[in-house]
Amino acid sequence: MMLSNNARSIPLAINWNRLDDDKDLEIWNRLTSNFWLPEKVPLSNDIPSWTKLTEQERQLTIRVFTGLTLLDTIQNSVGAPALMPDALTPHEEAVLSNIAFMEAVHARSYSSVFSTLCQSAEVDEAFRWSAENEHLQAKSRLILDEYNSTAHPLRRKIASVFLESFLFYSGFYLPMHWSSRARLTNTADLIRLIIRDEAVHGYYIGYKYQRGLERLDDGEREELKDFAFALLFDLYEIETRYTESLYDSLGLSEDVKHFLHYNANKALQNLGYEALFPDEACAVSPAIMASLSPNADENHDFFSGSGSSYVIGKAVATEDEDWAF
Amino acid sequence: MKSDAPPLDYHALNAMLNLYDDEGRIQFDADRQAARQYFLQHVNRNTVFFHSLEEKLHYLVEEGYYEAAVLEAYSAGFLQQIWQAAFAHKFRFPTFLGAFKYYTSYTLTTRDGARYLERFEDRVVMVSLSLARGDEGFAMRLMEEILSGRFQPATPTFLNAGKAQRGELISCFLLRLEDTMESIGRGINSALQLSRRGGGVALLLTNIREQGAPIKGIENQSSGVIPVMKLLEDSFSYANQLGARQGAGAVYLNAHHPDILRFLDSKRENADEKIRIKTLSLGVVIPDITFELARRNEDMYLFSPHDVQIVYGKPLADLSVTEHYHDMVNDPRIRKRKINARQLFQSIAEIQFESGYPYILFEDTANRANPVQGRISMSNLCSEILQVNEASTFNDDLSYQHLGSDISCNLGSLNIARVMDGGRLGESVATAILALSAVSEMSAIDSVPSVRRGNDESHAIGLGQMNLHGYLAREHIHYGSKEGIDFTNIYFCTVLYHCLRASHALAREKGESFAGFEQSRYADGSFFNDYVTGEFVPATARVRELFETAGIEIPGVEQWQALRESIMQGGLYNRNLQAVPPTGSISYINNSTSSIHPITSRIEIRKEGKLGRVYYPAPYMNNENMAYYRDAYDIGPEAIIDTYAAATRHVDQGLSLTLFFKDTATTRDINRAQIHAWKQGIKTLYYVRLRQLALEGTEVQGCVSCSL
Repeated sequence: MMLSNNARSIPLAINWNRLDDDKDLEIWNRLTSNFWLPEKVPLSNDIPSWTKLTEQERQLTIRVFTGLTLLDTIQNSVGAPALMPDALTPHEEAVLSNIAFMEAVHARSYSSVFSTLCQSAEVDEAFRWSAENEHLQAKSRLILDEYNSTAHPLRRKIASVFLESFLFYSGFYLPMHWSSRARLTNTADLIRLIIRDEAVHGYYIGYKYQRGLERLDDGEREELKDFAFALLFDLYEIETRYTESLYDSLGLSEDVKHFLHYNANKALQNLGYEALFPDEACAVSPAIMASLSPNADENHDFFSGSGSSYVIGKAVATEDEDWAF
Repeated sequence: MKSDAPPLDYHALNAMLNLYDDEGRIQFDADRQAARQYFLQHVNRNTVFFHSLEEKLHYLVEEGYYEAAVLEAYSAGFLQQIWQAAFAHKFRFPTFLGAFKYYTSYTLTTRDGARYLERFEDRVVMVSLSLARGDEGFAMRLMEEILSGRFQPATPTFLNAGKAQRGELISCFLLRLEDTMESIGRGINSALQLSRRGGGVALLLTNIREQGAPIKGIENQSSGVIPVMKLLEDSFSYANQLGARQGAGAVYLNAHHPDILRFLDSKRENADEKIRIKTLSLGVVIPDITFELARRNEDMYLFSPHDVQIVYGKPLADLSVTEHYHDMVNDPRIRKRKINARQLFQSIAEIQFESGYPYILFEDTANRANPVQGRISMSNLCSEILQVNEASTFNDDLSYQHLGSDISCNLGSLNIARVMDGGRLGESVATAILALSAVSEMSAIDSVPSVRRGNDESHAIGLGQMNLHGYLAREHIHYGSKEGIDFTNIYFCTVLYHCLRASHALAREKGESFAGFEQSRYADGSFFNDYVTGEFVPATARVRELFETAGIEIPGVEQWQALRESIMQGGLYNRNLQAVPPTGSISYINNSTSSIHPITSRIEIRKEGKLGRVYYPAPYMNNENMAYYRDAYDIGPEAIIDTYAAATRHVDQGLSLTLFFKDTATTRDINRAQIHAWKQGIKTLYYVRLRQLALEGTEVQGCVSCSL
């Protein structure tokens, strides 16, 4: 921490035993116990399944993953750091630094998928594609503009929640679809770990957004709400076009759009707003919905990978009474 | 859904199981529709049609799909008869996963994998015909047992029997490694050979010298057990059964081996890639002394296997660490180091949080309960096989100087609910014992002579049980309740009686007992001490009523006494009889709950390479009786351990016991459960599983498996 030139504030050490907001510790604990690295997932078990995809399906998969890599990169290098100056508590800053780091792990893990399954030429092509794809660039631009804007700090949180809770899902759909068809099931495990993280990130940033709103007057709140819905409409517009360009060839666009609606509602819910899309418009294929749950009740055998369910435990030493025998 | 809408595809219908309907009820009907649509949309369209049984059998033999010798042992008339009897059952899969699993993993397909050549009945009949080897009466009985769902052979037998191109019928192999390069090299070769044929392989690392131990007297030369584990891990991923499934392996190490912490750390989330073990399963062998030291909160010494071998003239695995602990501590010739015993238990629990491993073998408990001569030093990939073995020694060219014996086990499980419904428990057990013994006789693993020798001399088999929770819930008994534990005790006691009886009948018939019978506690009668005192009678009225209603007699004192006398004279054919495996795949086909575990979820999510993500409803569950379907995380480790303890005393080998915790658990909770298990006489612990519920506000809407 630096001394600022205006008021020569005193550098303060973070004290986790004095919490302004219990939510910070709850989320910190959740995020740290969820820590993982892509090396945990035996991706190479997916090689036989990868070779069974058609060339078109493989290209689509790599492209979708480069799109996701871009979003994670933004969130790691710009998004989460941009939120830090607005933090209400030192603990919030610490949680955000964890979020930033895990976004880097996510971005890194797509490369693990690539290096395990693909040829470098294919991957290079896809990264080129992601740099040139108009929809991908457009949505990144919209989000980045908010991160860099000085308009209102809470607008950064809105953008961030939309990225975490909405924009990822057009990409997440594909590995979930493959895994419901017994393809790339270990890759799907890895994606499920990412989904598990993003769900918490979106929830937490949304929660902090709502705490921020409480300090504002009605007029400002109204303005932010209008802004949030306007931004969501803009992003939704881009997402539908992005979705069509990717999924039309597989005949999945309609279902992916339902999935977008479902997650748009989730994002709004995180911000404390009512749903935008009616339930009928959110009727995603049950196979996809059911596949989202990353809970540990998933059962697998040792021939089929590690699943997406283990967590880092809390170490507590045993006492004499435990050993009474 | 509108009535004119096209039927949903079967994956979507099946997934609806995991989503509540508008009234908050589980959609069981969607799964039944999924099973039906799977047949209509997929199976029926892709099954090769034959006009008659003759045409089918002729084609399958001519094209090299069926083993001709299996069919030639029977008359054409009998073949007609058994197939007719099988189809007369009108078998239907009650769940989508059962049908899907059968057709993706078991049934015979054309070589391009595109079309099905068998229905479920065909597979059952072929398995029965091949194991009966020409005995028409037995073939018919076995077919009836399998098709009625009372007995289900383990995957390798059910998948392979009767096929011309096939892997082994045996499930499981356990190999010793000794502290020589020849033994390690031979072990890796054996792992490749057995893995290729479809078995799970476990290897014992306890005897391998530790990191830094001398080689040929030069200090600091050995690199310890980790590089051996790496070699094994790569071997298993290289050898798979015609791509059908990856090889899988486990390694066991004694807690007092100096590499124990390195061994455990190989499963840490942040382990370096060079030492990280991803797919190999780990097991730790813990003797009683370790608990004693932890109780006193003392340090525990770790002993160099290299020095132990020199001082005692035999490998560490063949010694009881508990018995020799203080001698070894005081012996200056044995290199040692120490760690804190409680800290070791805590490290084990930490790694179990992260990875689910290691399994645990309570070495002294297993050996005290072992009725035959020799020492149990390891278990297997599912921690239910506990048998004695003997070291081999090798010449420089890798040929055997002394051919030791290694362990194999073929498995099959009874469906408790179906067996109780059938009312003829003795006959069901006898048929199963005969079928498992047939697998042992039909198997000769020439690629690993020590396994072949072990199997020839022991005819060891493992009869397991499944669907305990399904049965109890159907009968409105809570898992882990007084009645639940009482039932487990009496059921397993009755099964034991009939296992021994059937194996004894085999010994009389063949005039042959397993090698070493004379030195066993069966031969001197001491094995029966607990049974001839009449200790095992139902403690609750409900359990007495269950057996009475089923018409199943609980063997009394006279019957046990008569059996004891008869066995002491006439022997036993099988050295080992029971082992309770975790039963994954076969319990889905058989519509059972796994093993004698509680369900892990009312709607279980199953993920496998071949299946993707599929959903499975607990057997006999409906929207009314759900209260009896509490899941394992909710039931908690104590009730599970107590249920297993009731079964353990009647099972000569082990029982795969997974411990389930909510994510609020700490390492201390895991340690306490382990201590409780050890105190209760449990022999092995299998996985530790944690359930993390989604953070409130982030869960998937309307998802059955996300909520309690």
